Amino acid sequence: MDPMKAQQLAAELEVEMMADMYNRMTNACHRKCVPPHYNEAELTKGESVCLDRCVAKYLDLHERLGRKLTELSVQDEEMMRKASVGSG
Amino acid sequence: MAASTGAANAAAADLQGPASAGSSMDSPPIQYSMILDHLIGDKRTAKDLSPGVMGGLGAPHKSDEQKMIERGMESCAFKAVLACVGGFVLGGAFGVFTAGIDTNVGLDPKDPMKTPSAREVLKDMGQRGMSYAKNFAIVGAMFSCTECIIESHRGKSDWKNAVYSGCVTGGAIGFRAGLKAGALGCGGFAAFSAAIEYYLR
Repeated sequence: MDPMKAQQLAAELEVEMMADMYNRMTNACHRKCVPPHYNEAELTKGESVCLDRCVAKYLDLHERLGRKLTELSVQDEEMMRKASVGSG
Repeated sequence: MAASTGAANAAAADLQGPASAGSSMDSPPIQYSMILDHLIGDKRTAKDLSPGVMGGLGAPHKSDEQKMIERGMESCAFKAVLACVGGFVLGGAFGVFTAGIDTNVGLDPKDPMKTPSAREVLKDMGQRGMSYAKNFAIVGAMFSCTECIIESHRGKSDWKNAVYSGCVTGGAIGFRAGLKAGALGCGGFAAFSAAIEYYLR
């Protein structure tokens, strides 16, 4: 598969992936950091500190898991290639 | 979170399904790892990640100065200074008020029978007000500072922050008079804070 095609496909998928990640991150961090006691309209200091940490962890996790998945898929593809070479 | 890469996974797997059947044909199968390199790995392009693009509500952009001002106003140091000034004013008022209802104000210790002049009384009231003001200012600043630090550390905003910081403040004040007084100060101030928090929430 040539890099141009990969890049095009990635560009198409990226918008959807980013929007999906943003939505999930917002939901998860809101569930974890903002308890449903709405005494005031603005975020308190504790909540905003918690949200900073939640976003940082989420993005770090996203990147690490993506890298791990890339490694695994590279191994998978090599195995498949060996299997196809062996059988073909 | 695993499902967000799962969305890309599903999309790529769908493409790979019919393509892998044709691996023996001319078109090579779509390599998921190459796509991931462009999405998450080293070859990704820098995107303008504004919430308006990604599905959030578009909010007007805050200028850098405004962000700095807001960050300063939320910081622990600013809150401590605010509590210090507020405590000073409140302590001064309280001290002057208690001096007003005290019969011993202005009494000369060397000659207790002499009625104090107005100037002496006023001077004594001012001194007492100043001493109360300083005490209240220190206590207020300590309480606010410790509460802010504890809240930043825990990452939650509930009543326990006030109780913990009340214990620390009371303990610090009472510790100068010994360990037992420190423990008593901790318990007393924590209980007082808990009562105030209960009333406020």
